[in-house]
Amino acid sequence: MSVSPRKSRRLPKMWLSILSIVGFFAAWQAIASAQVVPALFLPTLPSVLEALRAGAADGTLFVDIGVSLFRAFAGLLVALVIGVLAGFAMARVRIVRWFCDPVISVLFPAPKIAFLPVVILWFGIDHTSKIMIVAVSCVFPIAIAAYEAARSINPFLVWSALSLGASRAKVQWAIVLPACGPSLFAALRVAVPVALIMAFTSEMVAGGGGMGATLMYSQRFFESPTVFAYILAMLVVGVLMDRGLLAIQRFTPSLSDQV
Amino acid sequence: MTTARRNVRDRLGWVVDGILPIAILVAAWQLFASIGAINEAMLPSPYGIGLALFDLATGPEIRENLLVTLYRAFGGAALGCACGVAVGIAMARSEAFDAVVSPLVSATYSLPKTAIVPLLILWVGIGHTMAVLAVFLTCLLPTVVQTYHGVTATPNVIVWSARSLGASRREVLWHILLPHALPDILTGIRVALGFSFVVAISAEMIASTAGVGRLIFMYGENGSYAYMFAAITSVVIVAFAADRLLLLLSSRLLSWHVSQRGGHS
Repeated sequence: MSVSPRKSRRLPKMWLSILSIVGFFAAWQAIASAQVVPALFLPTLPSVLEALRAGAADGTLFVDIGVSLFRAFAGLLVALVIGVLAGFAMARVRIVRWFCDPVISVLFPAPKIAFLPVVILWFGIDHTSKIMIVAVSCVFPIAIAAYEAARSINPFLVWSALSLGASRAKVQWAIVLPACGPSLFAALRVAVPVALIMAFTSEMVAGGGGMGATLMYSQRFFESPTVFAYILAMLVVGVLMDRGLLAIQRFTPSLSDQV
Repeated sequence: MTTARRNVRDRLGWVVDGILPIAILVAAWQLFASIGAINEAMLPSPYGIGLALFDLATGPEIRENLLVTLYRAFGGAALGCACGVAVGIAMARSEAFDAVVSPLVSATYSLPKTAIVPLLILWVGIGHTMAVLAVFLTCLLPTVVQTYHGVTATPNVIVWSARSLGASRREVLWHILLPHALPDILTGIRVALGFSFVVAISAEMIASTAGVGRLIFMYGENGSYAYMFAAITSVVIVAFAADRLLLLLSSRLLSWHVSQRGGHS
């Protein structure tokens, strides 16, 4: 009964959305080709597509994407290992919790990008410094999520495993970690965009290859089509990462909230 | 006996639980620096950083640059949050507007906002406008999404009841939808404020002639690492204070809300 009117109302909504995106690009192209603003400020759509094609053809675009993604995910991995260990330790050991709690509450709201010069001083301007700044940015949300999840775990699961002869270490690995899967995955969905932002931003500030560095380089030489092409590419990478995580969650029941 | 001891513990609890761990960390750091276990060229001692911090605090340099950064961060955040709330309400109230705007919002939501800094440099040059615009765009999206979520989650029954009792659309907006969405809006603002400082500092590190981000980088390039760490410390303190202030403010604003009842205030 209520299906048919809703369907007929949904259809124009979808068309409006498509129209909105098409309209966005049409307006862009119209303004750019009418030379309302100089091409330096707003290059035409074909020139941006040409810059994308050129980057894809000689492989620089994919190398840059690969370098940035490598830094983002290596940093994320470091943050995940340290964050989960710290979070579980905080949930299990009182003195660790007492020690880490104020340190985290001071450092968590701090803008981590401010530490970039320190990381550069310690690790140079190549991969390591970018990986470390990503790790520093992502470790706090992951540690907090791991702590909250490990604390709210059903104690019967732990007691049962212990009474059946599992060691304490085995309980953490075989009971606590899987039980925290959904929460940790939710934290990961927060951390992935942060990792991408920090990788791009540190490349923009410090150079050393990757999408951010090429973006800044193109801007300095006023190659506007490349600037726009790289921003579009970053947008696509960001959306794909988020959709990819959602797909992983959908096809992995142990990571999904709905049990 | 136990009550007296507990009273002392309650009163000094925040020192033991909040300050002592950090004091231990700083003391250990100082100890390792004093016995030469830490290379001072890589990590200055807390004493050296403290001296630099004192020097900075008494001079105009850090104050002026911090004020520039805060002005950019809060100016951009205020504009972004205000527009974000307006757009979010409009999206929740008008299906056509929602259909037009939501693809643009969801496409740009995951774009790292610092990526538009080079674009803004092209368009408006280096300076206040560039940084404020970058912060504005960053703060806009989380507030839009949270406001939209909060308004659309308002139970229809409440809205219909108010309408049937004679409330105008404007009254429904002010007395029903906005209060109901307030917790979500405040969540969005908290996220936005967190971003605002990061993006302002990032924009200053990428290209700027003023601001604390540029100051930190300048100290790093000059090799005055004690001052670099002192400037970073001041940023950490300001960010911590701002976060606490916002938490306090939102618990005040939401003192009537269910989520606050029975919980700690």
